[in-house]
Amino acid sequence: MRTTRKIWAVAAGISGLAMIVTACSSTGGNTTSPTTGAPAATTAASTEKITLKIQTFNEFGYADLFTQYMKDHPNITIVHDKAAKSDDARAAVKNSIATNTVTDDIVAADLDWMPELLKSSDFFADVSSTDNKGRWPDWKTAQATDTKGKVIGLGTDSGPQGLCYRKDLFQKAGLPTDRTQVAALLGGTSATWDKYFSVGQQFMAAKTGAAWFDSLGALAQVANNQQAEPFESKADDSITVANPDSPAKKVYDMLTANTAESAHLAQWTDDWTKAFASDKFATVMCPAWMTQIIAGNAPDQKNWDIADVLPGGSSNWGGSYLLVPAGGTHVDAAKALADWLTAPAQTAAVFAKYGNFPSQVDAVKDANVTSKTDAYYNNAPTGQIFSNRFSAVGQQPYRGSHYFDINDQFGKALTRVDVDKTDTPAASWQKFLDAVKQLS
Amino acid sequence: MATTTELEISPPVGDHRRRPPSRLRQKLGRFDVKASPYIYISPFFILFAITGLFPLLYTAYVSVSKWNLLTGRHGSAGFANYVAVLHQPFFWKAMRNTVSIFLLSSVPQIILALVIAAVLNANLRAKTFWRMGVLVPYVVAPVAVGLIFGQMFADQSGMVNALLVKFGMNPIAWHAQVLPAHIAIATMVNYRWLGYNTLVVLAAMQAIPNDVFEAAIIDGASRVRQFFSVTIPMIRPTLLFVIITSTIGGLQIFDEPTMFDQQNGALTAGGADGQFVTVTMYLYQLGWGSQNNLGRSAAVAWLLFLVILIISLINYGLTQRIASEGGPARGRKRRKKVSA
Repeated sequence: MRTTRKIWAVAAGISGLAMIVTACSSTGGNTTSPTTGAPAATTAASTEKITLKIQTFNEFGYADLFTQYMKDHPNITIVHDKAAKSDDARAAVKNSIATNTVTDDIVAADLDWMPELLKSSDFFADVSSTDNKGRWPDWKTAQATDTKGKVIGLGTDSGPQGLCYRKDLFQKAGLPTDRTQVAALLGGTSATWDKYFSVGQQFMAAKTGAAWFDSLGALAQVANNQQAEPFESKADDSITVANPDSPAKKVYDMLTANTAESAHLAQWTDDWTKAFASDKFATVMCPAWMTQIIAGNAPDQKNWDIADVLPGGSSNWGGSYLLVPAGGTHVDAAKALADWLTAPAQTAAVFAKYGNFPSQVDAVKDANVTSKTDAYYNNAPTGQIFSNRFSAVGQQPYRGSHYFDINDQFGKALTRVDVDKTDTPAASWQKFLDAVKQLS
Repeated sequence: MATTTELEISPPVGDHRRRPPSRLRQKLGRFDVKASPYIYISPFFILFAITGLFPLLYTAYVSVSKWNLLTGRHGSAGFANYVAVLHQPFFWKAMRNTVSIFLLSSVPQIILALVIAAVLNANLRAKTFWRMGVLVPYVVAPVAVGLIFGQMFADQSGMVNALLVKFGMNPIAWHAQVLPAHIAIATMVNYRWLGYNTLVVLAAMQAIPNDVFEAAIIDGASRVRQFFSVTIPMIRPTLLFVIITSTIGGLQIFDEPTMFDQQNGALTAGGADGQFVTVTMYLYQLGWGSQNNLGRSAAVAWLLFLVILIISLINYGLTQRIASEGGPARGRKRRKKVSA
């Protein structure tokens, strides 16, 4: 008897301790329910004293703009809530939707989160206006528009991609080093993946000790973004990857056929970060924001340069939006601020100081943008190069309900073959299909 | 509080003083004796009910519902979530990893903690320095530990592989192979928790009265014999605490394996082939990844809860046996003398 009781006591004690962590908790903030009717109409022009909270992540480069805005609108105080990591900001936005509470008047969201946020588009206000219509290219606005045509996000920056390359390694391999010649070598405006890999072969044959590119996963990001419907059918949102002739399978086969040219370094790992300073690979796919990451990873490596070319044509990787929750207390004032922050003049100023490449048609042509050069890349005209790359982006892929998960699994499938070398391409593809099948 | 006010009011002044206490007073007195202790400890239980019991039951409710994190509840699901989770090979992979990392971390950790505590318990110079020294890693934030060890165990540029190569061995693919990945993660856990457990065990060892050891020495017991026959049985309750807490912590491991994987910038990936994805990471992926399937996530939470409960009970039983083996189970006679 005694032991049974003791066991129960222990069991109760253990369960008590265990409960505390296994149970989930949600962090609620300011509990303003979006469903409690229309918010008080406050416009930026009114003189009522209001505070606007805005949540961003990483670096949006807004500090100066906020100071200026508050100076122009003395009744408005802006509180900037800056998450250190985009994952934290994503969790906060999702929590706020899940608990139906509004903590910030404006929230920033990455392009990758848009498909899931669009499913809860009722939570956000329609931010389109006659004023900002046509400010962005169609592909940018389309990714913040729900099925009923409601626009929930105002585009901030974008990630048009060029090709970063190592001049010294190109020279060692007997390839041209000048950035216009490199662009021409890879096919210029009609650059193809075949051309990229065949030049890679030429480079590998020179045995410089370096590989042609960092990893297959990095290339997949570009190649998949160049497909119209990489994983899912636009018609009915069904997953198409299992079809033998699916675009995803074609990309997979093309990439895994060229594993030999890879440095086998998965993006964002410590090994990858350190490799920029040493002679591990000669080229890397370069969205505008990547230029700062390379410069940060290898401040003393003076041989990185950038060419106005991308295998397969053009592509955009990343970029963000500003969203206004419909249940906030100052929706109109928040819309006005978000609209102002994403206007061409402001985004061009952010680019000049922080390097976040704008997504607005006029900002991209702004002299402040096109005239920018970057000393790290041997004074390459990065503003003009990315402006050209931006204009070349024609479309963005269809991102259905499972895009994020499938893309993640696709990356893992390539890592298994390329970095971990635990699977053959065929076995890894089978694992990928199995994992996709399990998505609910 | 109520009883004191009653006491002041009920006894009238003057000649009634010697009258036997009133019924009400008696009742209140008895109530005071019986109920007060519960009232005094109630704050803990009230807090526990709010932060422990309620989330637990609510999680159970979520786990039998079709629940999307963003769009909320979509009716009952019965046990479909549990069935779906149990049919996913990935869940079993996560379970395998969790148990493996738990064993690789908790077992060496507790054995080492015992040994180090025994050493610290001996007469050392600068005792406090050594005792504080073992606790230092515990102060380091788990994320910082993750970053440091992530660099050390990097596949190509890591320090550990550089050392292995120096000693003529082949470098190990710490992120690609299952067992090395588990060992690397267990190392992080051990680094951080060893000192904490050592101090807890040390405190228990110091509470053992000296005359027990003296008796053992007179009986001619060696140091090793003393350790196994006196120290370990005497610190059994503490050992139990250490084992149960490290079981719970070990099976809920999240920070270290999360920090171990920086690929694709995605949190909670756990390796390209799920080499070191743990149950808590899987739970997070299901509920807060882009599937937003809170129902299944809650089902995983409950399954994990049950597993922890079962393993803790097994541990409890084992600890009872191990610790008493030096005692009554065998050599009863000698034990009597020792424990006298």
